[in-house]
Amino acid sequence: MIRIQTERFDTAELTALLQDRAGSRAGALVHFLGMVRDYSPEAGSRSLFLEHYPGMCEREIQTLCDYAQQRWDILDTVVVHRVGELPLGDPIVFVGVAAAHRGQAFQACEYIIDALKTRAPFWKRETLADGQAFWVEQRAADAEKTAQWDTSRDTP
Amino acid sequence: MATGTTIEVLYFAQVAEHMGLRRETLPLDAPVQAGAWLDALAARCPALGSAARLKLAINQEHAGRAATIRPGDEVAVFEPVTGG
Repeated sequence: MIRIQTERFDTAELTALLQDRAGSRAGALVHFLGMVRDYSPEAGSRSLFLEHYPGMCEREIQTLCDYAQQRWDILDTVVVHRVGELPLGDPIVFVGVAAAHRGQAFQACEYIIDALKTRAPFWKRETLADGQAFWVEQRAADAEKTAQWDTSRDTP
Repeated sequence: MATGTTIEVLYFAQVAEHMGLRRETLPLDAPVQAGAWLDALAARCPALGSAARLKLAINQEHAGRAATIRPGDEVAVFEPVTGG
């Protein structure tokens, strides 16, 4: 399941939904929760604005989840990503994976968030305490991390 | 809407700010290489900076400079993504 929304989400509700969807074979639920952090501690962040490309965004995330389903032995995935104006400390993204065993769930979850960061069309604009705003740049480390998944590391 | 002789171009985030618009319909009556098209866009709007760092999607799929843009396509131009 993939959802893009402006509203806050409840992590416990999403975890319960994932468990429901995965059914009784699910022995492991792993989730990643991304939060709005202070990108410029020296200047002081006020909020983060997230823009996205509707349609392509859902499609890209679906492709990543489909790939994860093929590569690892997992049961289901739930991805919720927020857009719009988000205050510091608010949740941005939830990536949940259900599997029979934890190893596959951990790997699939890490892959989905890594790949989402470099492939899903979202852009962050930060507003500082003094009102100045700028677009956040992609970190080279994020691109490298996604590229690493191309070389197999399936065995824990 | 793009037709047989146009493309629908979408601009996002910083690119939209530099262009001063979020979408436009541009004429295109024959296939063109994405890289050459992007270079022309960067030349038209110097604020975009080097075309080499801009990303493209054609019909909502990531596309490289070697891809082909065809009449009727939806083309999106944006900076590297920063979600998650």
